[in-house]
Amino acid sequence: MTNLEIGIYSFPVLILLIFLRIPIGLAMLVVGLGGTYAVMGTTVMITGQFKHLVFGTFSSYSLSIIPLFLLMGQFATLSGMSRGLFKASEAWLGHRKGGVAMSAIGACAGFGAICGSSLATAATMGQVALPELKRYGYSDRLATGALAAGGTLGILIPPSVILVIYAILAEQNIAKLFIAAMIPGLLAALGYMLTIAIIVRVSPSAGTTLAPMPYPERFRKLLQVWPVIAIFSLVVGGIYLGFFTPTEAAAVGAACTAVVAIMAKTLSLHSIREAFLSTANTTAMIFLIILGAGVYNSFLALTQLPQSSAIWVAAQDMSPWLILSVVLLLYLIFGCVMDSLSMVLLTVPIFYPIMSVLDFGLPADDFGLWFGILVLIVVEVGLITPPVGMNLFVINKMAKDVPIRETFLGALPFVLTDIIRVFILMAFPSITLALVWFIY
Amino acid sequence: MYTTINKATEFLARSLALLGGCVLLILILLSCISITGRSLSALGLGPVPGDFELIEMGIAFSIFCFLPWCQFNREHARVDLLKHRMSEKINHSINTISEVLMLLLSLLIAWRLWAGMLDKKSYTETTFILQIPLWYAYAAAMIGAVGLVLTCLFCVYRSMCRFRSTSS
Repeated sequence: MTNLEIGIYSFPVLILLIFLRIPIGLAMLVVGLGGTYAVMGTTVMITGQFKHLVFGTFSSYSLSIIPLFLLMGQFATLSGMSRGLFKASEAWLGHRKGGVAMSAIGACAGFGAICGSSLATAATMGQVALPELKRYGYSDRLATGALAAGGTLGILIPPSVILVIYAILAEQNIAKLFIAAMIPGLLAALGYMLTIAIIVRVSPSAGTTLAPMPYPERFRKLLQVWPVIAIFSLVVGGIYLGFFTPTEAAAVGAACTAVVAIMAKTLSLHSIREAFLSTANTTAMIFLIILGAGVYNSFLALTQLPQSSAIWVAAQDMSPWLILSVVLLLYLIFGCVMDSLSMVLLTVPIFYPIMSVLDFGLPADDFGLWFGILVLIVVEVGLITPPVGMNLFVINKMAKDVPIRETFLGALPFVLTDIIRVFILMAFPSITLALVWFIY
Repeated sequence: MYTTINKATEFLARSLALLGGCVLLILILLSCISITGRSLSALGLGPVPGDFELIEMGIAFSIFCFLPWCQFNREHARVDLLKHRMSEKINHSINTISEVLMLLLSLLIAWRLWAGMLDKKSYTETTFILQIPLWYAYAAAMIGAVGLVLTCLFCVYRSMCRFRSTSS
């Protein structure tokens, strides 16, 4: 067997292990180590590599941003800002048709601006908004579907853990990526609200309308969420102005959200412990995947598979747009069963070299940002597609008496908007890049 | 017997996770102090010396300490697509296999971390600014690595107990 063949055959083995419910990070490690042994014929390289690989990965300065953002998200959940965001959003949107569900989307977008994780956003906003939606007589289907979709705004709107990982893998500037994500993130929120407006017009029984609130009251509610705006501006603005590194920004953000939580008197010894334990779970999960993807991808590099496939694809003389569509479609399909972070870690080192040699009429830097945002959106769709969309399960678990089928059906219209958005952003790269061009 | 070991492992994993969380909190404070110092450099203040290397070592320690808790809670990401299509027995055997693989991995990590530590010690390698011997950081990380081995040992035992209770 040639090295290239070993590389190719490793894919089905890896997929098989993952589908048999071996933890994804562990499966990548096992296949990566086995493959390295098959190529080298000795374990010397593995034992040598592992001396410093694990410590080196865990002590990487650019990756240290991840636990800090996760802890920041935990503090944000504790701070009670989610309720304020929902009330402010309701004051402005509640009088529209389907207004309470739209408010939930608006609040998710606001929460996404201080939280880099979709699951945390879905869980936090679900706790606040689900009972309200029920109280105002919204259908289970619309309520759970909208919240599951709204949860993805946690990662679509910067700061975003997936973008941090993408930035490292594709060697892109984090600040530029965050800025590039802003307009697509807002488009996502608007798209979801539009979807709700359409659903409520098609089946008026799905949602109700509140009495409009006078403007002074609206502004008063909006003023109450100033900490969210302040923290978001500090974190993203601080990185952009070069005032601090992304890791420091995450630390500052975590400290600020902690202060808000202290002022809201929600930070007790007990709640801090829970925040630590939950951060520990997610951090360890993410870093096992990072470790596994690192080992697997360095094995693939050893077999020269990524380089060979990049050359092969370039020689096919296919339309770049066709290749891009195929790649994004693959993400959508795999997203139905795989978790978004594993997909990005596993595939970006393979796809990025291929994609970056194709000509989309964009400078290399701009291409890296645009491709990153497209990948971000398609992997996030995986969070709200059955059978294993994590957001669907998080929301469904909270809305105890709702059958999972209803939540699946409720999320489908939002999946459709996601796909339409991907097409729009693909066709007009300037939507993503305009803000970056304007600022830089 | 099982309950005692279960409790002991949970206590170990939880304590390590909380320890890691405390270190994370300290690093956040350190960063804030450092940034404040740097921005007030006109007043003669400055950043905390070696703040970057402290963050790197501290975060590595935290992550090592977080691993046992995630392992204990079976929180590692996996694909549940076929879970309900496979029999209870197959699910349990696969579970046992993955716990054994995880144990082997944790042994590999701990063993090589130890070797890496001895390397750093013999080269007397230190951090750039504070001149802290790097093997200290490796030694601290060993705490989490050993905790992971112990937790993985228990997890193998736990999955075997569950396997036995379903097959009988």
